[in-house]
Amino acid sequence: MKLTAAGLSDVGLKRGSNEDYFVMDTSTNLYIVADGMGGHLAGEIASKIAANTIQKNVNHWITKNSPEDELFDFPDSTLSRRGNYILSGIRLANRVIYEMSREYAEYKGMGTTIVVLAIMHSAVIAANVGDSRIYLIRGNMIEPLSKEHNMVTEQLEMGLISKEEAETSPLRHILTRNLGSSDTVDADIFEVEPMNNDRFLLCTDGLTDHVSDDEILRIIRNGDDPEHLCQQLVSEANERGGNDNISVSLIFVDRLDGERQGLLKRFWYFFKK
Amino acid sequence: MARAILVFNKKVIKEYPFDKDNMTIGRNEGNDIAIDNLAVSGLHARIDKTEDTYILTDLQSTNGTFVNDKRITSHRLQHKDKIIVGKHLLFFALSKEEQAKVKDTELDRTMILDTARQKDLLAKQAEKKGMEVPIKKEKIGVISFIDGSDQGEIQLTKKLTKIGKAETSEIRLGGLLMPPTAATISRRPNGYAITTTGGKTVKVNNQAIQESHFLKDFDTIEIGSCKFQFYTQESEDEK
Repeated sequence: MKLTAAGLSDVGLKRGSNEDYFVMDTSTNLYIVADGMGGHLAGEIASKIAANTIQKNVNHWITKNSPEDELFDFPDSTLSRRGNYILSGIRLANRVIYEMSREYAEYKGMGTTIVVLAIMHSAVIAANVGDSRIYLIRGNMIEPLSKEHNMVTEQLEMGLISKEEAETSPLRHILTRNLGSSDTVDADIFEVEPMNNDRFLLCTDGLTDHVSDDEILRIIRNGDDPEHLCQQLVSEANERGGNDNISVSLIFVDRLDGERQGLLKRFWYFFKK
Repeated sequence: MARAILVFNKKVIKEYPFDKDNMTIGRNEGNDIAIDNLAVSGLHARIDKTEDTYILTDLQSTNGTFVNDKRITSHRLQHKDKIIVGKHLLFFALSKEEQAKVKDTELDRTMILDTARQKDLLAKQAEKKGMEVPIKKEKIGVISFIDGSDQGEIQLTKKLTKIGKAETSEIRLGGLLMPPTAATISRRPNGYAITTTGGKTVKVNNQAIQESHFLKDFDTIEIGSCKFQFYTQESEDEK
């Protein structure tokens, strides 16, 4: 399996500081993007702590191949073991931020969104809390691998408002879940089978508030260098106002077959090289 | 502290300081802003305060709620917004300190809503639409074998279900040329999708699929000599 990845975080045009944070860990193929909130420096700290706590603990559990019952909080039986590592890492990060915000006056009200993507041969695990997103771009399709935890999404799911109303609703930026506001949190986690040429995008709402899914798809299909494409996505959001911090991380998957399928294919790759 | 100033026939009638987390507007006396006029519904609208932001929600009133001449269902109040309820006008004003903070809020700052208030808001909205407060039930996928094998039905409780010969598969299939994992079914935000993985043909409704395919209720799936049907059912537990 070969992964090509890039990440970029930009302050945007209207904000004084960047409260987003991202992590790309090539040793375990773990990718994280977080969008912090809270006054002064609290937002910046929340996103950083969340991403680092998750990275550190998930990597630790992977190295030790920890059984599910040794993790933080109860495991979820619908998930694979790696899925449970991520769930547990997110819960732990939530607790850390929650405790800090209660302990220190300067961190009061701090919180963060989180998106986590782990790529393995057997499965890709996508986890999220809040309104940052993960997309799978496969062929000419773009598909969400995350669920938005905000008022508008709930209203939409309950049939109280239309899709058009949702796009302009003032409740768009009111989250119903984040890391740090409550002592426990539930993440939405999805597991999918990776395919060759899959492209994954992790991003904060600084991108998606300005650029639609179809436009994201068009940009990402239109190039092969993740670093360049990340820059293009950020520029696009800035050209349309850059109201918020913009963070994007792109991961391209290739050469899965060599390891997953028979000897013959492996020989074929060997000759091709 | 923000204020709402009630105006009728160009005359200021009363001023309401915003000293609570939410204030209701309506004809009934129990409302924080009670307006005795038939054009106003009993419980007409309400204003919720979240951090530095005020959100006005129309509670499905008969004659509607308008902000700056536009009918709204929910609206983030800005300094100097004119709210029209029936024939009355409510002028919304922020305090000096709050105005100073507006720079930030104008940029649609993200914030978190506590769950109790969120449930309350959604329930109220549903009630006014004449709906039962919906209980979110998750739909769960089921695989039902229709090839006469004794596997019966299997619930797709896992996020990723592996189908194949391997012992670790959630759904084990036999057959000479069956790969260890012939296909996987994953539960995604947009529904259940089946993906081919082992190089063996997977057919959905008699059509061989390429890579992955979203499943609909009562799709039939064929892998080798195995045949089964997919459908969804409401799960027992509330989400």
